Amino acid sequence: MSSTIALIESAQPISQGAEAKVYKAYLHNGGTPVLVKHRFRKQYRHPTLDATLTKSRVAGEARALLKCLRAGVNVPGVRMVDSAEGVLCIEWIDGQSVRKLLPGGEEEEELDDATDLTGESSQNAAVSSLRGYDVDELMSLIGREIGKMHQADIVHGDLTTSNMMLHSSSQGQRPRLVLIDFGLSYYSTLVEDKAVDLYVLERAFSSTHPDSEPLFASVLKAYEAQMGKEWSAIGKRLDEGAPSFRCNLKSS
Amino acid sequence: MTVKAKKRNPLQPPDRTYLALGLEGSANKLGAGIIQHAQDGSTSVLSNIRHTYITPPGEGFQPRDTALHHRQWAMTVIQEAVEKSGVSMRDLDCICYTKGPGMGAPLQSVALVARTLSLLYDKPLVGVNHCVGHIEMGRQITGAQNPVVLYVSGGNTQVIAYSRQCYRIFGETLDIAVGNCLDRFARVINLSNDPSPGYNIEQEAKKGKRLVPLPYATKGMDVSLSGILTSIEAYTQDKRFRPHGAPEGDPEDIITPQDLCFSLQETVFSMLVEITERAMAHIGSKEVLCVGGVGCNERLQEMMGIMAAERGGRVFATDERFCIDNGIMIAQAGLLAHRMGHETPLQDSTCTQRFRTDEVHVAWRA
Repeated sequence: MSSTIALIESAQPISQGAEAKVYKAYLHNGGTPVLVKHRFRKQYRHPTLDATLTKSRVAGEARALLKCLRAGVNVPGVRMVDSAEGVLCIEWIDGQSVRKLLPGGEEEEELDDATDLTGESSQNAAVSSLRGYDVDELMSLIGREIGKMHQADIVHGDLTTSNMMLHSSSQGQRPRLVLIDFGLSYYSTLVEDKAVDLYVLERAFSSTHPDSEPLFASVLKAYEAQMGKEWSAIGKRLDEGAPSFRCNLKSS
Repeated sequence: MTVKAKKRNPLQPPDRTYLALGLEGSANKLGAGIIQHAQDGSTSVLSNIRHTYITPPGEGFQPRDTALHHRQWAMTVIQEAVEKSGVSMRDLDCICYTKGPGMGAPLQSVALVARTLSLLYDKPLVGVNHCVGHIEMGRQITGAQNPVVLYVSGGNTQVIAYSRQCYRIFGETLDIAVGNCLDRFARVINLSNDPSPGYNIEQEAKKGKRLVPLPYATKGMDVSLSGILTSIEAYTQDKRFRPHGAPEGDPEDIITPQDLCFSLQETVFSMLVEITERAMAHIGSKEVLCVGGVGCNERLQEMMGIMAAERGGRVFATDERFCIDNGIMIAQAGLLAHRMGHETPLQDSTCTQRFRTDEVHVAWRA
């Protein structure tokens, strides 16, 4: 217990969302940084209920990440889990959120849910450049990663352009696209759930980025290629539109 | 006035005194109230009368019987509202009624009364969305400027925030409403429906100690409650369950109805507070307003208060006069719309069981 608490105390706060506080910390001196996600205790909740929930959510997020890693999806690696304390340490992703790389994404950034993990590291990078990608290539990277994740039967639950990062890995290589923030993710084999995941992303595109239709179309194209046979059912569900999806998503 | 905003306020200050009668009957409460918007900008409640259709323990209210109740009591309640207000029907500017959402038959009974009064006294009709009525009355009473609204009642569970002349729904229940969940459980353990099942659950929960495990189903900003109801009902068949509390000398491992009320409240209210917090974080608001019948539950208000305080904000809530369905809230929302020039022509003065909060054009806010 004390070592986890000590880690948080030594850490540098990055942001606070509804559910967790996010820090940057070092597991040992001179090592690579890690991102600490602390689901702090909610005072309004009954202590027993709070402890059970926190534990299962931390474990669930770690499990989803591991499942993605095993399936070869680009997600942050898991570094440490202390579900009793509500702490999850994951790989620090140095880079920039896709939201900031696309037109329109710079505005209203602070209005977004603070689980945006880009932190201070992104601000010194160039905004306009797509790190050697053209927009179409970037969109197909997104589509392919989501496809891989859905093939592993993980549904992200909160797909937005803020929850995708271009990770500037070692020199010489082209940056990787990394999916982040699996706080709302869950395991599902249902076509419906995967279609909702894509639908949420479509809404996020259109509410954040102007003229997003061609962008999302290229995401879908790459997704389709990745999913193969599984695509037809999901695509059909997506075309059927929103009767069982929430109405209010229509007007954003 | 209620509506203050940084942007130019579309609602002009009143050039004279405005009066409206509001009629509400979307569920088992029949309400009539008269509101006044004075020239100095103040708003006052001249009368707020309500009569509730109460069924015996173990029974819910059926649409047909509820409609009958409303028809029987309509004249008495309206007469009392008018007498108490000290104004005459002729002084009114408009007659506001609940257009929806709600139960069909009770809505129709009240709409019929509204139409009749409108023709008798030659007053314009204004059809009002029930949910918007709750929000506008809550804002008026508490003075909250731009809160995230948690609207929780027997028929609705929604997390709402205002944006561009529309009350947008950020989260809601995917199946049954929270009040419905509580009321139905009250029926299972045979609690009285007087004054309301939810109130009696709240009192029982105060005596509960043990938290039994229940499903916890938040999905993003939505909640699902039907599984919790099934699950808590199953506990009443558990062999540890003692319907009449602990007899003398009984071992510790028992479950009482009080424990179940306590567990049910703690679980569902935690879910509601969680989705409200998520909406607040999402839009960056620090105010919460609780409206609707369940909104007057003090435990819910307390939990919401703790959450809001942790975020450096505060919670606004009202008491049973304005939380539980009433006529005055319909008058308030209707009069705001009327002052913006809105009227419901007689041939369109229908009602509808399905009428979503975000379908209303909120013309009176910037």
